[in-house]
Amino acid sequence: MPTVKMPVIDFVEYDLSNGLHVILHQNKTAPVVGTYLLYHVGSKNERADRTGFAHFFEHLMFEGTENIQRGQIDKLVSAAGGNLNASTSFDRTDYHFNLPSNQLGLALWIESERMLHGKVEKIGVETQRQVVKEERRLGTDNAPYGTLFENLAALVFQGTPYAWTPIGSVQYIDQATLDEFREFYHHYYVPNNATLVVAGDFDIDAAKKQIADYFGPIPRGKDIERPTFELKPQTKPSEQTVESPTTPLPASVHAWRAPAEAAADAPAVELLADILGTGRSSRLYERLVRGEQAASEIEVFPYLLENGGVLGVSAIGNADTPLEKLDQLIDEEIAKIREKGVTEEELQKVKNLKLRELASSYATMQNRARNLAHYHVMFGGTNQINRQWERYDAVTPKAIQDAALKYLNPNGTNVLHYPVVKPNASK
Amino acid sequence: MKTLSILLALGIAATPFARAEIDRTHQPAAGPLPAVTFPDAVSETLPNGLRVFILSTKKQPMVTFRLLIKSGDIFDETKPGLAALTASLLNKGTEELTASEFAKKTDFLGISVEAGSTADALTVTASGLSRDTDHILGFLRDAALRPAFRQAEVEKEKRKTVSSLTQKKMESADLAVRLRDKLLYGDHPYGAYATPESVQSITRDDLVKFRDAHFLPNNATLVVVGDVEPATILAQVKEVFGDWKEGTVPNLHIGPISDILDGKLPRFLLPNFPAIKGISVAVVDRPGSVQSNIIVAERGVAKNNGDVPQLNGVNSVLGGGMSGRLFANLREKHAFTYGSYSGFSAKKLGGVFAATAEVRNAVTGPAVQEILNELQRITFEPIPDNELALQRNYLIGNFLMSVENDQRTAERLQEIDLYGLPKNYYKTYAAKLAALTPEKASELAKQYISPKDLVIIVVGEAKEIVPQVEKFGKVTVYDTDLKEKKP
Repeated sequence: MPTVKMPVIDFVEYDLSNGLHVILHQNKTAPVVGTYLLYHVGSKNERADRTGFAHFFEHLMFEGTENIQRGQIDKLVSAAGGNLNASTSFDRTDYHFNLPSNQLGLALWIESERMLHGKVEKIGVETQRQVVKEERRLGTDNAPYGTLFENLAALVFQGTPYAWTPIGSVQYIDQATLDEFREFYHHYYVPNNATLVVAGDFDIDAAKKQIADYFGPIPRGKDIERPTFELKPQTKPSEQTVESPTTPLPASVHAWRAPAEAAADAPAVELLADILGTGRSSRLYERLVRGEQAASEIEVFPYLLENGGVLGVSAIGNADTPLEKLDQLIDEEIAKIREKGVTEEELQKVKNLKLRELASSYATMQNRARNLAHYHVMFGGTNQINRQWERYDAVTPKAIQDAALKYLNPNGTNVLHYPVVKPNASK
Repeated sequence: MKTLSILLALGIAATPFARAEIDRTHQPAAGPLPAVTFPDAVSETLPNGLRVFILSTKKQPMVTFRLLIKSGDIFDETKPGLAALTASLLNKGTEELTASEFAKKTDFLGISVEAGSTADALTVTASGLSRDTDHILGFLRDAALRPAFRQAEVEKEKRKTVSSLTQKKMESADLAVRLRDKLLYGDHPYGAYATPESVQSITRDDLVKFRDAHFLPNNATLVVVGDVEPATILAQVKEVFGDWKEGTVPNLHIGPISDILDGKLPRFLLPNFPAIKGISVAVVDRPGSVQSNIIVAERGVAKNNGDVPQLNGVNSVLGGGMSGRLFANLREKHAFTYGSYSGFSAKKLGGVFAATAEVRNAVTGPAVQEILNELQRITFEPIPDNELALQRNYLIGNFLMSVENDQRTAERLQEIDLYGLPKNYYKTYAAKLAALTPEKASELAKQYISPKDLVIIVVGEAKEIVPQVEKFGKVTVYDTDLKEKKP
């Protein structure tokens, strides 16, 4: 097979004296510039009695700053022809702008204002408390299977700061005080905890000067103490049943602790997951969906984070499928891959699927910016973006079986059931 | 080297001092907006009528083929779900390969072949690494032109489809949109949706007939986008699709019942859309809901309506994004919702205008009231110049940026053909928006948005929300099968 020529992502990177890490990638194929600002703080930095805090704070960053009136950030960006958003995960919070290429300065001004002059005011906090509760209802409480990941994290990551999800609990959002938000801001929203990426159609030297002008005067913060924990192998399985009147079909999830995303065996775990569940020729699709017709859909998801991860298998049954049947089929397939391993051909297939996935990640400047920041922060080397494929290419069938034996351990299986609750049988 | 270290120290200290001079109190000056250019594609119509567009881009080593059949759910006739089921069988086995073999062979090369249908069109998309272009094109042809519709696979797909419908019955957003279309489009096929019964009634013969009637090169367009050389790929496309036989394209007919009585019954006769007069309220009772999905909807416009670009400007003021009035009102002022937006969603023969929000049960009534207030305001109050200017810039800038997305450009090329839009539709799109004045915007708002003739749809916990929405109009309560519940 001819080799695939991946684009080479050229970039320059440097630190400002206050510790802000800057990465610049120029590409002039479209008159677009994307900025991506990553703060290395996520839900794992929260106290167990303040879950949802990092995500809530992300909302406050859209309120205003000393020089930008409340409610104007969205409008400034819209009026410039751009768009903006942000997201919060377990490990990081990120802010992104997409702008026509004449407007890079606006993004730099707003982001530097938010880093230097963020404002935490009562009116904004009270409004966003309600807004975030609606966000939680929308994605979690009112959606079928919406609590799945939350329940899963609580089982798999028990005893670690990954045990709660970024959306957090409503009660803690209500309890948090203005002072706590200000303290959080001064602690984590500092240049030495941030990575700024600019990608797209812009002039490198002019951008360097503008970045120095806007971000240079921001004082360095204290060094951040990061949570240190590792996921020890689980010694006994766990199980939970979630009853909800909005569950339409029976669903079963089996999940195990998995390595951190930069761990040496992470690529093997990802390819193992692909063999089990990516594509209609995957083992679980062939068996549960096409073969036995027990499930209407299956998914195998590796969710690998900075300090550890989870590998999960989810199956949504057909209306007449007992949960026990889904469990039995999943157990058999897991046992089989542990005992017999995988074939060379299966491995080649999932490598090709991965190659395709990697080759599809260059289309937008925003995507490139996100990946550059990600490799810098989570892999300790920005240029990893140009070497992504090597990690997967090196995986052998034995490495896959080793990963299955190590991680898909029956003693470490966490099972989550979503039965269909009959309307009249509710307790 | 004391001197040097002092100089260095000075140098470091001096820099922030110099930087402090930047004016942080105002946004930086910006140069002019870059020119908006909609990319040109290579296009050619083959002798059998297949229109081909080629968009060559080198950003990544990928290629996508998207074959669009200009017939969709609108041709389902008495069996809603027919076009969708036909589409879902295309990658489930061909004349040469079983479903399992097809999956193995495509997966092995990291190639995806997916098909689906919408109201007006059915698409088959094949994509993968550009090194595998020949294979991708081959799989596309096999899926689109040589599907086997094996009985066993048909039964499996029907079973999966029924499960997916069971799932959708619990998804509030999905229930709301289906009821919206049912109420606004009535007996027109745009108002129909698949049910377990309609899917069960579909036979293999129905699928084959649908395929035979609609899969014609003169009823299709093909776009190729990605890392390809236009001349080479065009030759390949001709080789693969050149012998596809053309035929008679099925026609749609909208007209009076007398056509039937006269014996001139066309094969696809479409009823008119029902008239929407006054305000009515439709509640879907979804027990256990902790949030209400609200849609305030009325008749919209068809895709080829010449006012669409400027209407998008009007809509943007009302609810186009985070700077729209609905967002400012329902989220930032009242904190009712995570997001509230509006939009004209247009199909080939008609469309819907709708404003939406998802709000906690207790504020359902007040949220509906605020949406109605905003509809009222945009049709009665002049739109301030600066507010309109912001929204114009927002749409023009974001349109400009959308050309970064090659897949979107490819879809737009096919849209121009599918909906019969002017050839220069996207080339003049930004200029039309730029020409939108406050006077024209107000005139369009009055013409196309009627705050008095609409349907309010709410999906949620009926016993908590019905008392809150009774004041807006007559309430009809539905179950999750969208059947009317007895009062």
